Amino acid sequence: MTEIVLMAHVLFGMLCIVGGVWLFVDVLHANEANQGRIRTMSIAVAILMWLAYLVGGYWYLTFYAADKAIILKGPWPFAHSFFMEMKEHVAIMLLLLVTYLPIAAASNTAVNKGARKLVLWVVGLIVLIGIAIDGAGAIIGIGAKVALMAAKG
Amino acid sequence: METLSKYSVSFGVSLAITSILSALLVVVKELNENSVLAWMKGLTSHHWITHGLLMMIAFFALGWGLAKMNNGEGLKMTPERLVCVIASGVVIGGLIISGFYLVY
Repeated sequence: MTEIVLMAHVLFGMLCIVGGVWLFVDVLHANEANQGRIRTMSIAVAILMWLAYLVGGYWYLTFYAADKAIILKGPWPFAHSFFMEMKEHVAIMLLLLVTYLPIAAASNTAVNKGARKLVLWVVGLIVLIGIAIDGAGAIIGIGAKVALMAAKG
Repeated sequence: METLSKYSVSFGVSLAITSILSALLVVVKELNENSVLAWMKGLTSHHWITHGLLMMIAFFALGWGLAKMNNGEGLKMTPERLVCVIASGVVIGGLIISGFYLVY
């Protein structure tokens, strides 16, 4: 059960990043024909990030305490003290960005160059922060792994 | 001149402000475990849930309030300036959080 919850968290996060890249390319080539898809994708990216946050939050509050104790006793305590602490709070900024995205994408990006620039920047920030958070998650996983290996001897 | 909708501008500025507020709340709650952090834990069982809820409420309240300014016309800003405000808010917020946990 724990692993499924954790994998769902990563899956939703990765789909949010992939959706963000899709949206970025679509907005770069904005025209009247793809306006509907741009708005739909902006909502999809927001929903995927919210799902990643809610599932990850459930896992964090329910299962993470045991992992945290193991990580802090291992050779990579910074995997929790820096990367997890940073990740859980930067994620709130990412939530704000994805919640804002459909508001920005509601404008016609085919005719309004300013709106297009705005959406490109917001999506770009979402993708970059998403990748950074994904990397932090990987370091937290390795932190637990090296702690278990050290305990085993 | 390209113009943005009042909601794009108002909620964009709100996003930038809330990002920095969120980062400052991280510093305040971590440095005041017995008061601020304990209060946040008591409100929803975990400070992280309270933190997320407070920031969402601040984002929508601030965005809505800014959209009502200028007799309902909302804030006015060029797209370039709004992008600069949003990127600055997010980067400053991220740097505050990262910098704090690097030294804390």
